[in-house]
Amino acid sequence: MVRDDFDQRLRDRLEGVTEPAPDVWEGISQGLARRRRKVVFRRFTVAAAAAAAVLALALLVFRGPRNDGQVEAPARIAGTVEPAGAPVVAPAEVPVPDIAPIEEQIAALPRQAVAAARVTKPAAPQAPATAGPAGEAPVAVVPPVEKPAVQEPVTQEPAATPAEEPRADETKHLLTEDDLPADYWTREESSRSSRSRTHTSQISILSNLTTAASDGDLFYIPSASHASSQTGKGQAVSDIEPISASNAPKFYAPLTFGVQVAFPLTDRLSIATGVNYSYLVSQFDILYKKVLYEGAYNQLHYVGVPLALSWHFVQTPHLGVYASVAGAAEKCVAQRYVFGSNVASEKVKGLQWSAKAGVGIEYWFIPHMGVYFDPSLIYFFDNRQPLSIRTQQPLQANFELGFRFRI
Amino acid sequence: MRETSTYTEAELISSCTHGDKNAQRVLYDRYASVMYPVCVRYLGREDAKDVLQEGFLTVFDKIGTYKGEGSFEGWMRKIFVNASLMHIRRTDVLRRTEDIDEVPEAGGVLEHGVLEQISSREILDLVAGLPAGLRSVFNLFVMEGYSHAEVGALLGITEQSSRSQLSRARSLLQEKIKELYHGKR
Repeated sequence: MVRDDFDQRLRDRLEGVTEPAPDVWEGISQGLARRRRKVVFRRFTVAAAAAAAVLALALLVFRGPRNDGQVEAPARIAGTVEPAGAPVVAPAEVPVPDIAPIEEQIAALPRQAVAAARVTKPAAPQAPATAGPAGEAPVAVVPPVEKPAVQEPVTQEPAATPAEEPRADETKHLLTEDDLPADYWTREESSRSSRSRTHTSQISILSNLTTAASDGDLFYIPSASHASSQTGKGQAVSDIEPISASNAPKFYAPLTFGVQVAFPLTDRLSIATGVNYSYLVSQFDILYKKVLYEGAYNQLHYVGVPLALSWHFVQTPHLGVYASVAGAAEKCVAQRYVFGSNVASEKVKGLQWSAKAGVGIEYWFIPHMGVYFDPSLIYFFDNRQPLSIRTQQPLQANFELGFRFRI
Repeated sequence: MRETSTYTEAELISSCTHGDKNAQRVLYDRYASVMYPVCVRYLGREDAKDVLQEGFLTVFDKIGTYKGEGSFEGWMRKIFVNASLMHIRRTDVLRRTEDIDEVPEAGGVLEHGVLEQISSREILDLVAGLPAGLRSVFNLFVMEGYSHAEVGALLGITEQSSRSQLSRARSLLQEKIKELYHGKR
């Protein structure tokens, strides 16, 4: 009783005591400015990633018109066939042979449709009608696939002999498959494969970096879900409770490594899947068996399977640009707390689901190996996973770097 | 900049939530002299300055989470108490403190009228001058109203140790109060 009285009298004297404080406003002001800069940087990176994601979606939705079998203007190849014995012209005046478009046009047709195409044979009677002087692939002017029967034949007049009237039996010639060189289709397949090799099956080795790191400007509210999701096993992690003390939590940038395999679905669409490993580290205060531990480290190990769809809107032998959307399911295979001299580890129930959208660019510096960079925006759904940057800041800017190998 | 007196507490909280620098300065001016003694009680004057700064940064970070339940000053006080306790743990002062077993048990009851002769600031200095372990237990039990079990959990000591240290803290304070009182006479 006497003690209680002493305590009460002391409390009465000390409560409400004021005393001029030393001026620490300057330090507070500088601390606030530092935190504002971090918030601005984070918002900027998230906005940039959001813009990239929106651009990616826009490109996916509003991609350009496709060339559905329509041929290009035949005039483009008018100068590519030289009649045998034609006068030699200065190199500067020789049109550069450009047979690729017509090859593509032929290839786009059913093989039987080739027979309906008509060409004008060059003036020289002995020269093969379907091959250039150097034996290049045949030159044919092909009507659109949709209307092969009514399409007027397009004639080609060699520039060297504009005034000559071709003989009747040489003027019109029906191009049949027999007119093609024996190895035409083989060469064509090879050529197509070469041109579209930016979109073959690939293996990617990747690493991720996100902007999601924080050293105090995130305020977290510990939730029972962070502790209840763990599997009970002895005293371990289930005895640990993250608490909101005066020390700000610190979340380090997550790291991801993985291997993915991509397969083409169409000439521009591909699907990719693989295995990813992610490592997350956080530092915050915990109560372990009712004892406060400041700055405990929490390590989370996730293994996941992503599934991504990519639309390749730029494909050249060396450069590719694409937009992609993806989803992933990740399993936390281990979590580990390190506090003081104690270590506690356990597996975690449930899966972490996420969705991602972004754009990417790849550069093939040799035919079978390249590098790529995928900035994207990633969202982690609330799946009652342990406290981490993913639960505190579900929307993150993500930067994926990696190597790609054609297989 | 608005004058300190022109902000109501609700306006001040709302403005600080939105990051208004003027309001933050006003809040600091209004509460620094109240929170500083809290830090001094736990840490002594030397370390209290650092924790005062740290505590205000935490207040501005978390002010959006204040829901109006309980007094705002009480909410702030908890933040400064937590900041002080963290500082104590960070500096490991509890382990470095002098052997508390050397402190004698209470030598008698403080006579009525003695305490009233000592100013609040002198009492504050006496509390701040206690060994760190005793000071922490005394503040948490007497000033904040925690139970011995809670004090033990917060400081990482047993409940029995909390009781023992509180008893020694009382004895030491009474002894020093008596010395101060007799020194004045």
